[in-house]
Amino acid sequence: MRALAPLCTRLACLLALCWLAACAQPFEPDERLSFDAPTRAQITGVPLIQQEDFFCGPASIAMVMQWAGAEITQQDVAALAFNPGAGGTYLADMIGSSRRLGQLALQINDFDQLLAEVTAGHPVIVFQNLGLGVFPVWHYGVVTGYDLAKDEVYLNSGQLDQMVMAFAVFERTWRRGDYWGLVVLPPDQLPVSVREADVLSAAAALERVGQYQAAATLYETGAAKWPANWLWQFGLGNARYAMGDLRGARRALRRARTLDPSIPEVRANLAFVDGELAG
Amino acid sequence: MGFLNLSKKGIAIALSAQMVLATQAVTMAQAEMLGTDQAISKYTALANRNALMDEIQREDVQAEIIAMGVDPAEAEARLAALSDAEIATMLTQMENDSAGADILGTLFTVFVILLVTDLLCFTRFFNFTRCVR
Repeated sequence: MRALAPLCTRLACLLALCWLAACAQPFEPDERLSFDAPTRAQITGVPLIQQEDFFCGPASIAMVMQWAGAEITQQDVAALAFNPGAGGTYLADMIGSSRRLGQLALQINDFDQLLAEVTAGHPVIVFQNLGLGVFPVWHYGVVTGYDLAKDEVYLNSGQLDQMVMAFAVFERTWRRGDYWGLVVLPPDQLPVSVREADVLSAAAALERVGQYQAAATLYETGAAKWPANWLWQFGLGNARYAMGDLRGARRALRRARTLDPSIPEVRANLAFVDGELAG
Repeated sequence: MGFLNLSKKGIAIALSAQMVLATQAVTMAQAEMLGTDQAISKYTALANRNALMDEIQREDVQAEIIAMGVDPAEAEARLAALSDAEIATMLTQMENDSAGADILGTLFTVFVILLVTDLLCFTRFFNFTRCVR
């Protein structure tokens, strides 16, 4: 199970990089990408945070959230994500902690998605094995840019210097992490490479952890992009109801009913809200 | 009159439909708002959440979680923060990893402990959950 990043020490990272650079094959964009990615992209404003011991996961989330304007430290994230017994942060807890902090968190799994997100200006947290299969050195870093012409990937990787990796080296380290990547965004922004159903589920997850305001914002953002789907308005109605905004909930549920009058859940919740407003 | 003509098969279908609707019927009583998650599960996805949450309640699993340095309540919160689709993906990955006897299998996750250690329960999930249609 590639779900753990127990080691994020710098020395190990450097050793692993030297080893990998010696056996790297060139990266062929035409073969690896199914869309015509721009030659280069660079996201500005992602802070470089020096990670504390084993905190590469929390530090990565803190970097992305600070980039988006949040005031948060790696210790804040670690309290919600870090596993002391394992000496690392599980993939699932990377997702979960981001949501408990009111963020939209969605997993990506290939180069198409990675470059699409970076091109769209979204930094992407990546899970890498900087070591070898038999000697794994798990690590989280944040991809902030790339340059296909120069054959370089740029990462904020838990150190005060930007890390520059050849595409081939990056590909190998990321492949050993099963191409696991995480887009963490404030709920008024949407990833560009993720299916609507997955964004919906992520919004519902925000509701589930009590981040109703974030959920409502995300439902509104989703509704603007996918206006025909009643589920966005349904979720918006539920999130508003949870916050005590009955009239706002009714407006959203009415819009959901207009979009699809046949859904029993929509009619039931609308009747429920109407009942509370009348009573 | 129509009821008398029902075949065994028809009764079976009606009964299983009733079982499927049982959870809905409870919520349709309108004691509370119907959740977004349920609607998404019903209309777009599968749900294995409850089965996983049940596993977390097991005594031996709780002991493992504590041994990992994680508060069981925190483990539940972490699980709750995942979407149904992610839980489904996780279950699939765990099945594959346990078959491969991967060296990385030594790096247990809370969820691997929950699942890989008890593959029988994993199988049982699918019998219990109504998400398999």
